[in-house]
Amino acid sequence: MSVQSWTQSLQASRKTALIQDGKRKIHFLFSDGKEMAEEYDLKTDELIVRKWRNESTLGAQGPWQVEVGEPAASPVASSDDVIKENNSNPVFMRTDTKSSFQWRIRNLPYPKDVFSVFVEPSEKCIIIKTSNKKYYKKFSVPDMERSELPFDCSALSFTHANNTLIVSYKKPKEILTLEQELLKELKKLKGTGDGNADCKTQ
Amino acid sequence: MPRAALKPLWSGSHIQSMSLYSAHSQAPGLRPPPRSLAHSLRDAHRRSELVHVQQPVRDKQETVVKNQVEKKRAVNTQSQQTEKTARRFSPDTFPLRTNQKEAPHSHIFTSVAAEMAMTPKVPEVRDIMRIERIGAHSHIRGLGLDDALEPRQVSQGMVGQLASRRAAGVILEMIKDGHIAGRAVLIAGQPGTGKTAIAMGIAQSLGPDTPFTALAGSEIFSLEMSKTESLSQSFRKAIGVRIKEETEIIEGEVVEIQIDRPATGTGAKVGKLTLKTTEMETIYDLGNKMIDSLSKEKVQAGDVITIDKATGKISKLGRSFTRARDYDAMGAQTQFVQCPEGELQKRKEVVHTVSLHEIDVINSRTQGFLALFSGDTGEIKSEVREQINAKVCEWREEGKAEIIPGVLFIDEVHMLDMECFSFLNRALESDLSPVLIMATNRGITRIRGTNYQSPHGIPIDLLDRLLIIATSPYTEKETKQILKIRCEEEDVELSDEAHSVLTRIGMETSLRYAIQLITTAGLVCRKRKGTEVQVEDIKRVYSLFLDEARSSQYMKEYQDSFLFNETQTPTMDTS
Repeated sequence: MSVQSWTQSLQASRKTALIQDGKRKIHFLFSDGKEMAEEYDLKTDELIVRKWRNESTLGAQGPWQVEVGEPAASPVASSDDVIKENNSNPVFMRTDTKSSFQWRIRNLPYPKDVFSVFVEPSEKCIIIKTSNKKYYKKFSVPDMERSELPFDCSALSFTHANNTLIVSYKKPKEILTLEQELLKELKKLKGTGDGNADCKTQ
Repeated sequence: MPRAALKPLWSGSHIQSMSLYSAHSQAPGLRPPPRSLAHSLRDAHRRSELVHVQQPVRDKQETVVKNQVEKKRAVNTQSQQTEKTARRFSPDTFPLRTNQKEAPHSHIFTSVAAEMAMTPKVPEVRDIMRIERIGAHSHIRGLGLDDALEPRQVSQGMVGQLASRRAAGVILEMIKDGHIAGRAVLIAGQPGTGKTAIAMGIAQSLGPDTPFTALAGSEIFSLEMSKTESLSQSFRKAIGVRIKEETEIIEGEVVEIQIDRPATGTGAKVGKLTLKTTEMETIYDLGNKMIDSLSKEKVQAGDVITIDKATGKISKLGRSFTRARDYDAMGAQTQFVQCPEGELQKRKEVVHTVSLHEIDVINSRTQGFLALFSGDTGEIKSEVREQINAKVCEWREEGKAEIIPGVLFIDEVHMLDMECFSFLNRALESDLSPVLIMATNRGITRIRGTNYQSPHGIPIDLLDRLLIIATSPYTEKETKQILKIRCEEEDVELSDEAHSVLTRIGMETSLRYAIQLITTAGLVCRKRKGTEVQVEDIKRVYSLFLDEARSSQYMKEYQDSFLFNETQTPTMDTS
């Protein structure tokens, strides 16, 4: 999917907007049944949350997959849960800024020289490695994938402070223009201030 | 061994497996006195094995030690080590451990018994894994046919009934072929002639991948669901769809399993599992179900396992190569595998079989797929079913899915009524219909819901569509053989005379009654501390429990002294 086709599918999707709690919330329904929900800050226009929901092969509604923002905490931690990660483990999340994609991994109490972060162009992903073999993460950048943009090693940087590793990747200018246009479009959508409005796309 | 005296073991075939556990769980409140080096050397291997194998099922605060690669070095510092690891891995449980020391070998010392009596008895936590219950047909493992479908006289738990087994074998081939939909088979015969056994045999030979749904004729009568809905759900449960789906799995080498059980023996267990790959390490919190299945699979440090994140299904891939030299006592079938690479959580495409009914439930939006777990599925609209059928056919044409027609077995089919029979007539004509096997022990009787008499209580038009397999009563030799198989299954040893007596009882009363006497006689025998059931034991239980004929006889003689003896109902009413 190139930049154009992604823009087209965005335009073709059915959208519902809602303004609530100082956030602009938009729900997209694509023609293939996928759903996307985005939340923007009203003041700064920063993207706070972007999540996806797919239908499973058998037709069941899957859970929301968070792409950007804090993963939704499960409402009640039941003891019947089969298996889940201990809360002392590193927490991986993406929090974008206006100019770059940014990932934060909390609970990583190791010195900075343990980490190595690099781009793997053949697999179109970024890899975080630790020399003490405690943490390893391979992740792609869905935005780049959707627009089929090549990776640039020099755009990647990382810092470590307060047990948190922050990895940043400068957004290419194609992405920047795309996001600006999208935001302009979204602002044109009439958002209801009321939370009880019917969501036409759902 | 003092351990036998310490603990009232429950009797039976489980003694052997239990004693292993009791060696461990019997010594709270003690720490091992210093031992000689030779002593500990001898014990070291045994101990390390016990700790890792039995750990998850013990009934106290416990920690599976981060498994040391250099086991040998650890030999003479056993007790120190236990403390060290406790401190390292569960600082909060440490105070408890100081007054409840684990002493795996303290039964060696005779002073233990005295102190044991002082410590409060901790109730035994029995895990499901150790209770293997024996059912009426658990000795049946197949139909007992050879490759040419010729029945062997005694095989796979089946005895005699050669003609019916051969017929069932032909049906089985038809099912395995999977091309023919909507055939129906009726197994008819007197009570106790192996009708259900043949159906179970078919189910066993089909293997776990072919859906086999069994229900009794009276199960479909419910106030919450119409009879036909219940029948069509059963029909759809018997059709499987093999389809690829992406699931999230965790794959890694076990570094440590830690399970804390409340000292009272009841309440929630808390568990942690540390897994690693060559690149990373993660700690997981375990739910109760997970703890049970980990102990069931006997997962221990050093194993490479995969866990299906959604269902919690664990499969052991083997032992890590790094642990290859850990133990000298290892099963020949132990496989060594490389520690997985990269991330612990992966998305993998797995092929699995779901039934059409499950797909129906997932897609009936009113309930959502959660209904599958609560069991409350309600009625499913026929439009949903049609959509699913179309979708499944589409998948099949695209090569995404494969349809596996299975078997629906309806026992006691004479309990169905007229409406169900006419529904069956129609349902069997659908091309998405499984092979239907029915069983009945009735002769010419009234069709439920009508006043017509018909053979087997089934309308003639349905009978016309059936292939009928008849079973005949067992001969004396066969009865003897069946009783022998049951004795093996129920773990009761029978002397030759007792066996002949029991066979005669089986011939004169009923096979079921004779089978019932096996375990009861076994218990009587054990009470008199015998090892083999003798004729006296059989006589004793025969006098204790009446069979059907003697009971009726008794009734006739003493009818007048029973309650309500003056009301006489001519026949049993089944409608």
